[in-house]
Amino acid sequence: MWDMIIVQPFTNLLLVITMLVKNFGIAIILFTILIKLITFPLTNKQIKSSQAMQDLQNDPQYKKMAAKYKDDKEKFAQEQMKIYKEKGISPFGSCLPTLIQFPVILGLYQGIMRVMASTPLELVKLERIVYPFLDVNKILPIQNRFLWMDLGQPERLMIGQFAIPILAILVVATTFIQSKVMQPPTQGDSQAAAMSNSMTMTMPFLMGWMAFQFSAGLALYFLISNITTVVQYGAMGRTDWSNIFPWLPKKELTPAKETVIEADWEDDEDEEPEVETVKTAKPSARAAVKRQRPKRKR
Amino acid sequence: MNKKVVKLMILAGFAVLILSGCAAGVRAESTPGLTVSDSHVYLAYQTNLYQIDKSNGAEVDRFPEKSSASLVMYAPPVVDGSDLFFGDLANDFYRVSTEDLNQIKWSFTEGKGWYQAKAALQDDLLVVPCTDRNIYALDAESGNRLWTYEGDFAFIAEPIIVDEKVIVSTQEHHVLVLDINTGEEIYRVEMNGAVLSAPLYDAETGTAYVGSLGKEMIAFDLETGQTKWSYSENLDTIWATPILLDDELIFADKTGKILALDPENGSVLWSKDAGGTVIAGLSAVADKGFLVAREDGNLFFYGLEQSNDWTASVVGNVYTAPIVDGDQIFVPVIKADALLYTFNLSGLPGWTFTPAK
Repeated sequence: MWDMIIVQPFTNLLLVITMLVKNFGIAIILFTILIKLITFPLTNKQIKSSQAMQDLQNDPQYKKMAAKYKDDKEKFAQEQMKIYKEKGISPFGSCLPTLIQFPVILGLYQGIMRVMASTPLELVKLERIVYPFLDVNKILPIQNRFLWMDLGQPERLMIGQFAIPILAILVVATTFIQSKVMQPPTQGDSQAAAMSNSMTMTMPFLMGWMAFQFSAGLALYFLISNITTVVQYGAMGRTDWSNIFPWLPKKELTPAKETVIEADWEDDEDEEPEVETVKTAKPSARAAVKRQRPKRKR
Repeated sequence: MNKKVVKLMILAGFAVLILSGCAAGVRAESTPGLTVSDSHVYLAYQTNLYQIDKSNGAEVDRFPEKSSASLVMYAPPVVDGSDLFFGDLANDFYRVSTEDLNQIKWSFTEGKGWYQAKAALQDDLLVVPCTDRNIYALDAESGNRLWTYEGDFAFIAEPIIVDEKVIVSTQEHHVLVLDINTGEEIYRVEMNGAVLSAPLYDAETGTAYVGSLGKEMIAFDLETGQTKWSYSENLDTIWATPILLDDELIFADKTGKILALDPENGSVLWSKDAGGTVIAGLSAVADKGFLVAREDGNLFFYGLEQSNDWTASVVGNVYTAPIVDGDQIFVPVIKADALLYTFNLSGLPGWTFTPAK
């Protein structure tokens, strides 16, 4: 089932691109970009949703509520759900697109691995999943030489006596850049910042190790995937380059929704003086109402 | 470091492990490599090369002593007296002693690719196909490289050596004939598709026979390189080497169609249907008949008059051609309880071999 729905179409698409461009390396690049573009709406939704959640957690009102119910988890959960509902935030909004994307990413990876068949048994399996309208005769063998690389082997560039793993280095660099530019600004939450930093430092090396160890085709996929993600974030105006280049101005925290919640748990005396509340006339006064938040003072 | 960070790092580690597992699994998937000598059976599969007692199936030795996921081997070894030559997927080719498989006499490490196919040996010259697109000729005594032939695609078929020529199938839709002394190309025989199996050479007529994924079987004159005949009518892809038996050239295509052609002119003598996919080659038993191993583990023995003398089956998949040696038939199987099954020439099962953990 998995093979028929995910791996087979992906593999055939990759083969079609390979036949068109006559080069497997270019086919991997185009295929990765294509899949990234197709899944962009999901990525976009995921980014927006996680941004909205982030904004909410940075909201002073929300923090007040969290502080108030810190010892009553049940009540806290109830109030939290209420806020989610009122702000139109789905707590699974950032998980669902990720979950949907996961099989796509896995299929992409498996498709590339299938096409890079280099043993008779792998060729038998590849032949079996090629659609009848594609002539396997014309497809095989697949030219997996790309620039200086053999895409079926771990990549090394020989410079004199030294074998330099260029792709692995680029994967480390781009994974680091990707993590950094996507790193959300944290407001005083040292634990979250520590977690985020540890991921930013660990992931590039783990990915780099995989790129070093496994075939160049897979490393190329990692590299292009990283670059495409950074470009996508950039296109959405979500990248924070100051995380890499500290001399650049820090990106402002722009909430996804310019609204805050006022609810029955709010203590009047704790209210921020600069925030001007515009209450709507709702019959249930105890229910939360939305108001426009003025721009933050810098 | 707080607990959440530790948890996150463990989680990331797990994710990488899972992905690594996927990558390694695909990377190392192939068929068992089988070689039978006078006293032993050698079986290369995944992390070990096993030396098995031919009489009872007991494991005698294995290489390496301690298995490692990074050291995987599938190429059938070449046995020459007390020497064994084989390569692995870690880009190394070895000469070891049959007395002690872990006694490495030399290792050739210049190759940049995996060794999938069996090497060919003549006198002291080893011809080693490699997936780095090269064919290496090595001095069997020292392991020194004598020449290299550079191709355009990975070499995954066993070469054969005839007189002063090396014949090797390529994925690039042709069969290469090289000078054994220099590695220079003498000529190439064009085909319709990738050629994944070694040609069969008939010394009596000086003709080589080979099939391809281009759905054809051809015969060519080894001296001149001229194609004598080509047969492609209603054929599917051909994955294995044909056999010559009783003046008939017999082979199976992937759909299980078994064909016997006249080796002289390629005309059809008879055909049969194995009733299922056949990837592994046929195995000839002189003066008796031949064995067909279907992918699904069903074995059929046909007599010289094409009568189905017996059938047997193993639970698993057969991709490697069974080897007939004396009165024993050795069948390597994957996805089965045992890795190697044996039968006698009447189809009665003998010992099986399952590697000890």
